[in-house]
Amino acid sequence: MNVAILRTAPLWSNRLKEVARGRGLLVILLLGLCLTGLAQIACGLYIPAKAAAAQVLLDRAFDRSRVDHAPRKPWPWADMTPTARLVVPGLGISRIVLDSGSGQALAFGPTLLPGGAALGQAGTAVVAAHRDTHFRFLRDMKKGDLIFVQTREGLERRYRVTGAEVVRWDGYAVADAPLGERLDLVTCFPFDAIRSGPWRYVVHAEAVSR
Amino acid sequence: MPQSPAPRPLGLSHSGPGILAIRRTLAIRRALVPAIVLALGAPLAVAVHSTAAVADETAVDDAAPDDGPAAGTLMLRGQGAAKSLPAVRLGTDMDVTVTGQVASVRVTQAFRNTSDKWMEASYLYPLPQDGAVDSLKMVVGQRVIVGHIEPRAKARETYEAAKASGRKAGLVEQQRPNMFSTMVANVAPGETVLIAIEYQAPVSQANGTFSLRLPLVVGPRYTPPHTLGSAAAVEDAHAVTAPPVLDPALGARLGGGRGDGLNPTSISVHLAPGFEVANLISRYHRINVAGATDNRTVTLADATVPANRDFVLDWRSASADPALGLFAQHTDKGDYVMAAITPPANLDGLPRPPREMVFVIDNSGSMGGDSMEEAKASLIHALGTLRPQDHFNVIRFDDTMTRLFEHSVSATSDQVALATRFAESLQAQGGTEMLPALKAALDDAGTGGGTSPEVLRQIVFLTDGEISNEREMMAAIGDDGGRSHVFMVGIGSAPNDFLMERMSTIGGGVYTHVGAPGEVAAKMMPLLDVLSHPAVRDLSVRVEGGSLDLTPSRLPDVYAGRPLVLVGRSDKLSGTLTVSGNIGGKPWVQRVDLSAALPSPAIEKLWAHRRITDVEADRALGKLEDDRADAEIERIGMEHAIVTRQTSLVAVDETPARPAGARLTREELPINLPAGWDFEALFGQDAVQAAPGQEGTGDLAAMQAQALELPQTATGFLGLIGKGLALLLAGMTGFALLLRRRAA
Repeated sequence: MNVAILRTAPLWSNRLKEVARGRGLLVILLLGLCLTGLAQIACGLYIPAKAAAAQVLLDRAFDRSRVDHAPRKPWPWADMTPTARLVVPGLGISRIVLDSGSGQALAFGPTLLPGGAALGQAGTAVVAAHRDTHFRFLRDMKKGDLIFVQTREGLERRYRVTGAEVVRWDGYAVADAPLGERLDLVTCFPFDAIRSGPWRYVVHAEAVSR
Repeated sequence: MPQSPAPRPLGLSHSGPGILAIRRTLAIRRALVPAIVLALGAPLAVAVHSTAAVADETAVDDAAPDDGPAAGTLMLRGQGAAKSLPAVRLGTDMDVTVTGQVASVRVTQAFRNTSDKWMEASYLYPLPQDGAVDSLKMVVGQRVIVGHIEPRAKARETYEAAKASGRKAGLVEQQRPNMFSTMVANVAPGETVLIAIEYQAPVSQANGTFSLRLPLVVGPRYTPPHTLGSAAAVEDAHAVTAPPVLDPALGARLGGGRGDGLNPTSISVHLAPGFEVANLISRYHRINVAGATDNRTVTLADATVPANRDFVLDWRSASADPALGLFAQHTDKGDYVMAAITPPANLDGLPRPPREMVFVIDNSGSMGGDSMEEAKASLIHALGTLRPQDHFNVIRFDDTMTRLFEHSVSATSDQVALATRFAESLQAQGGTEMLPALKAALDDAGTGGGTSPEVLRQIVFLTDGEISNEREMMAAIGDDGGRSHVFMVGIGSAPNDFLMERMSTIGGGVYTHVGAPGEVAAKMMPLLDVLSHPAVRDLSVRVEGGSLDLTPSRLPDVYAGRPLVLVGRSDKLSGTLTVSGNIGGKPWVQRVDLSAALPSPAIEKLWAHRRITDVEADRALGKLEDDRADAEIERIGMEHAIVTRQTSLVAVDETPARPAGARLTREELPINLPAGWDFEALFGQDAVQAAPGQEGTGDLAAMQAQALELPQTATGFLGLIGKGLALLLAGMTGFALLLRRRAA
């Protein structure tokens, strides 16, 4: 099929010229349609590519910042720094968590929400990421799965998943310090929706001793 | 850096349908946590007489379908915060005359009806906890109607009957010894009705400084859910938490920039203490002073101030500190005498034995703002004075509680540093469950050098005391007090002095008030002096050559520099009063010739008030049953014509005013938020949220939860690609069709 198209290419261009001579406006319109489509596909592909590439850069920055426990920017103009590495051994997942909960930072990696506790401290740390990139794996997590977290400060924590629930974005609350260290992973729900909605999927985990 | 959107106030009413089942079971207990919410949403509690029912109501809310964020519904359904200005405006004037060591105060409340309806208004306000209210006058136009004392229920009936028949009526009830309410019915459109009450209160004295406190506002109270067991308890909680609190922003608008805002108050004090006054200081308000040194007139510099913080006036004697104050009143019922005897204050050379100190700090929501900072600073100041031979512990509470150490530990520098960090990290939120913290503090493990009464065990309690279950607290100290001494430190611009004073007295300590961030050191130093020295021991009081019915019947602990104030009654005043004791191993005796007392017009009322305090103390300590205590209080209240729990003042205008058929509108007048309080912390976003449901989370009742908004977390790149593909396909199809047509 490909071969056939290639062979007929000169023929195509000749005939296109003929057509264009007669119906210029329509051709320009169709051409525009095709180009817009291509641009959108490119944009769409750029998002996961950016997400994946950023994680590689962030991984390096995190390794550097673990040496001196100081924040390191993954690239010079970044407005966030990596703060922890989140590993799910059962699913072969490793993600670098960012310290800024802004919408921009979410494009590059999971972020620690400022409203929750800090990782490694009493209370519930809340990490959010996009459902179709970094946190797509949440749909596959089951009760009892283990999550490892290494922080920039050198703390290491092990969490076990206790369950998951679906909440509204504005109907969510986290347990406070008296219940010990907890981790909630949050993403949008449903996973395969095209439009964004009010629902969020929350995976609850609690710290376990090693 | 881009910020996530500011969190909006959230209600309890949002949750996914999938988790409702779990959330509902939780809500039964969880809904009780929104402490202050419940306290302020008292009408809800009135409607349903058990706490479980309250929870059910909330659970129903959970199920309600809704779209998008909403305000904290549970809060705003109750009185909570006032979002609009009242139709009846209130102005208050306080006229104080200090003679000797007694303050006689006339409080005039002007209720002005700014609406075109007939109104009934009710206002909740504080008075000093040791004040005896003995007079009520209602002024309508040119006429003055004098109120009379009646048993509480009967006074209420009289008032309701007058209200129903369209006559003007005024009613003054006591809700707590330091909290009263005035109701006035049938105020005509555009009319102003004046309610004037009078009370007598002793002037307090410590280390030679005399102090007059005029409380101006009642802080919003927390009602622990477990106390709402009966209809009467619910009604009582409603009475003390009823008034809505005005949003300060609205109050500022009302003042038109003058700053007096809602409930403006003017104050004038005529000071004739019987000696030349020196060091006259108003702690929290600017004042003007005029007149001779032994007869000062003090007025507010600003004419009026908003009723949002206590007025405190301090003074000293220009000559030597008077060690004795003796005042008497002769009446038909007998003679009354008040004696204030101050033990010597020279503390140098006295031994400072090691001691165990337990600090309890309140970090509930009502402490938000300045109060929390004052409490922390006071605690850190006190921690700094611990010596290595002392033992100590720190307990913090809101509706949960944390003990820093299991039992008291030695005050090594490491432990003190740890405690200081702990104090610094505290944040104000949640309800005020004071009882468990008090019980934990009273739990005496004898770690500070055994349980011998010779070893000092001191509890320093830092709180604003904004709770409605005061009697439970006093009973706990009475039951489990043991050898512990309880020292209350009242925090903020309007603490609950009734609770503080009684807990200190029953607990054998003293009460100190820290009212502004700047005076932490100034107020904590004298307290810490008192703490480091034992009280006067083996205190005894004798009367020779006469008889005297003395109050308090149980002698309090007396500390250096703080007077022992005795009030007595006798058929014929004569003889000598002898107070003796032991200070630091040395005997101390003071004799007072009772016939040398100066005349003072209010001692009878003070004696009656003291007697009632004795009855209440007996009740709190379980020595007197409720019915008998109530009967005794009613008897004293009727005999001496003062307002008590069981007696109220009522005034009825016999002339009918409201025409038959005109409707009467009832209004609870809003109160100001005490100065320094954080309105947002109480009524804003801090509505306590339900926690996410899970299995195996342990004691959920003890759990707090924090609301958190979740960001939008979908890139939608697949949608983007899909849309792009669709466009491309459409374009290509178009071309294909075009070419085919050409070819044909």
